[in-house]
Amino acid sequence: MIVCLAVVGHENNPLYIQSFTESDDALKLHHIVHCSLDVIDERVNNPKKSSPTINEAFLGLLYPTENYKVYGYLTNTKVKFILVTTDLDIRDADVRNFFRKFHAAYVDAVSNPFHVPGKRITSRTFGERVSTIVKSFGLSSAS
Amino acid sequence: MEGEVSESCVESLLAEIVLVVGHQFSERYTMDRPRFTDNLEAIKFICKDFWSELFKKQIDNLKTNHRGTFVLQDNRFRWLAHMSIDPSVQASGNIQDPSAMAENKSTQATGMHLYFPCGIIRRALSNLGIACAVSADISNLPACSFVIRIKA
Repeated sequence: MIVCLAVVGHENNPLYIQSFTESDDALKLHHIVHCSLDVIDERVNNPKKSSPTINEAFLGLLYPTENYKVYGYLTNTKVKFILVTTDLDIRDADVRNFFRKFHAAYVDAVSNPFHVPGKRITSRTFGERVSTIVKSFGLSSAS
Repeated sequence: MEGEVSESCVESLLAEIVLVVGHQFSERYTMDRPRFTDNLEAIKFICKDFWSELFKKQIDNLKTNHRGTFVLQDNRFRWLAHMSIDPSVQASGNIQDPSAMAENKSTQATGMHLYFPCGIIRRALSNLGIACAVSADISNLPACSFVIRIKA
């Protein structure tokens, strides 16, 4: 189950952060997202030479914590998407698919003429689209 | 009657629009592509994909001095294709030369139409992480050259 989604801009400024749990873990989840930004920077600046995915947007599993798995995705415009989930047996392909749909929703939200680049995304439609994508993710990877 | 808009006015009015539009274009058109490895890849993206999305054609000629300056030449720039040109002032069409410009209003007016494409290119490149300055050369309309100077 996805517990948290975040979009972080070029200057590490938060553009969108949304938790999907009922409990009050919001602060802990924000902290996890914040730490994962460092992991992303490290991965981008020191690419492993043997890694075939040096130019890919999808960064894969960033780091596993005690209960959560954190996945990262970096767009060409240096915007980072971070996904925190409690599922332990997630397929890579599902996460890639999720990020693809999320990227499309993000691009549409940014194309809104009332959106100011660099400020938070406040579109309700974006929030709804994201909830739909999150729900369908849970269904498709249910084992 | 004061019908002319001063250049600095145009620039400031367009600056904000360019900021937003350039940002949106760059987000949308880089969506499905892998990350760029270096500046040349990003410039080639501008020449091919970006230009085809905006103008339905690719850049006709790309030159570089391998030291951070690129010249993109479009032989028939769509946004200026239907602009009438005064043949007598064809020789001094470079909009970066203010003294020559003061003498011909048509070139000046045409030059103002170039702020938007230059700005979009600059904004798209800065979104990809490349700080640069973009200027345009319209000495041979309808051909238009964009000069991109990457700030080191």
